[in-house]
Amino acid sequence: MSDNLPDTLAQRLTARLGADIVAATEWRGETVIEVLPENWLRVAQLLRDEAEFRFEQVVDVCGVDYLSYGQAEWDTTDVSNQGFSRGVEGQGPGRFRWSERPLVAARHGRFAVVAQLLSLTHNRRLRLKSHCHDDALPIMPSLTALHPGVNWFEREAFDLYGIVFDGHPDLRRILTDYGFVGHPFRKDFPLIGNVEVRYDAEKQRVIYEPVSIDPRVLVPRVIRDDSRYDQAQAEAATSAAAGK
Amino acid sequence: MGMTDSLSRVMHNPVPVSSVDDILRPGDDNPLVERGFAITSADALINWARTGSMWPMTFGLACCAVEMMHAGAARLDLDRYGVVFRPSPRQSDVMIVAGTLVNKMAPALRKVYDQMPDPKWVISMGSCANGGGYYHYSYAVVRGCDRIVPVDIYVPGCPPTAEALIYGILQLQKKIRRTNTIAR
Repeated sequence: MSDNLPDTLAQRLTARLGADIVAATEWRGETVIEVLPENWLRVAQLLRDEAEFRFEQVVDVCGVDYLSYGQAEWDTTDVSNQGFSRGVEGQGPGRFRWSERPLVAARHGRFAVVAQLLSLTHNRRLRLKSHCHDDALPIMPSLTALHPGVNWFEREAFDLYGIVFDGHPDLRRILTDYGFVGHPFRKDFPLIGNVEVRYDAEKQRVIYEPVSIDPRVLVPRVIRDDSRYDQAQAEAATSAAAGK
Repeated sequence: MGMTDSLSRVMHNPVPVSSVDDILRPGDDNPLVERGFAITSADALINWARTGSMWPMTFGLACCAVEMMHAGAARLDLDRYGVVFRPSPRQSDVMIVAGTLVNKMAPALRKVYDQMPDPKWVISMGSCANGGGYYHYSYAVVRGCDRIVPVDIYVPGCPPTAEALIYGILQLQKKIRRTNTIAR
């Protein structure tokens, strides 16, 4: 921060935007402000146009699913000879079939949209964040009118998280397969998916079938039938017999 | 020593196995030099022609494609084997599936394969193309490109080195040379 500006960016943003800001944090030189969806467009325009801020570029727009926020799959309390507990038990993110997916109680503000802004004029960056109101149908105003470049970013967030961008000119899926069902980056989407493809020689085309294998996450595990364990057990038995 | 030596061990020309390959032999062993003509069977001649100019369809899908480029570039130089990458399936004999085949790409891969003229071969390069590899349990990835097209040679690795791919190509040459029928 330069010396002629007494306040940090977060403080100046709070002073300028006032009640529009839900939260403003500055941590490790990264400024994050959170706004409500109804203020999303207005704040973005203000940040773009006002001489003090001039965030004329949006570097990225992405979605976030806060469903299992704070729960770490890698946390483990014990180690067994079958592997770490995380590998044996529990439904971590994505480790379930479509029919077994956890139906969690509604959590307010499950989906968020995050925009990374860049001010070329001031050489400054800002993270703008907003939680959608409705978890069943998350809606966020589209930034395409202000920043045409976010078109595909918003399509990606729609594709992967199902966040609907109001006012987007062409809100189609962008990454997933044609006719794909679901939004794969949601935490309650089974990692294994629903369909798999195969070429059918009779129909002379690639066909879709229900997925045929069991879901699994490739976390490192202890090899169960390792000969070293047998040897260790045998040695333990011999020493126990010798002890008697 | 070192690089040159190990290269010459890995990268040797295929050992001549049938009579038509005798014309590849240098010096006095060469029947063309010795007698002025060579006699062979039609299938050996056809296979010799096929193995000598396997033009692959460039189907780079992921990082394996970079190793495929290395195989085609100056040091290892696939052109020495008559392997010239083609941008069109109509001109190709062999398809190298280099990388992760996703569900969305599968119909396109099959279409390209169908557009290749017979006889045609497929080399599956890398773990992802062989069986899904790292993405085996993913919602979007085909668990092996042999679910879509018939595969002749599987090259293991993640990604396989360029040398490994060339070894696979030489294996395919061997496989073609073994074929004794004209219809595949």
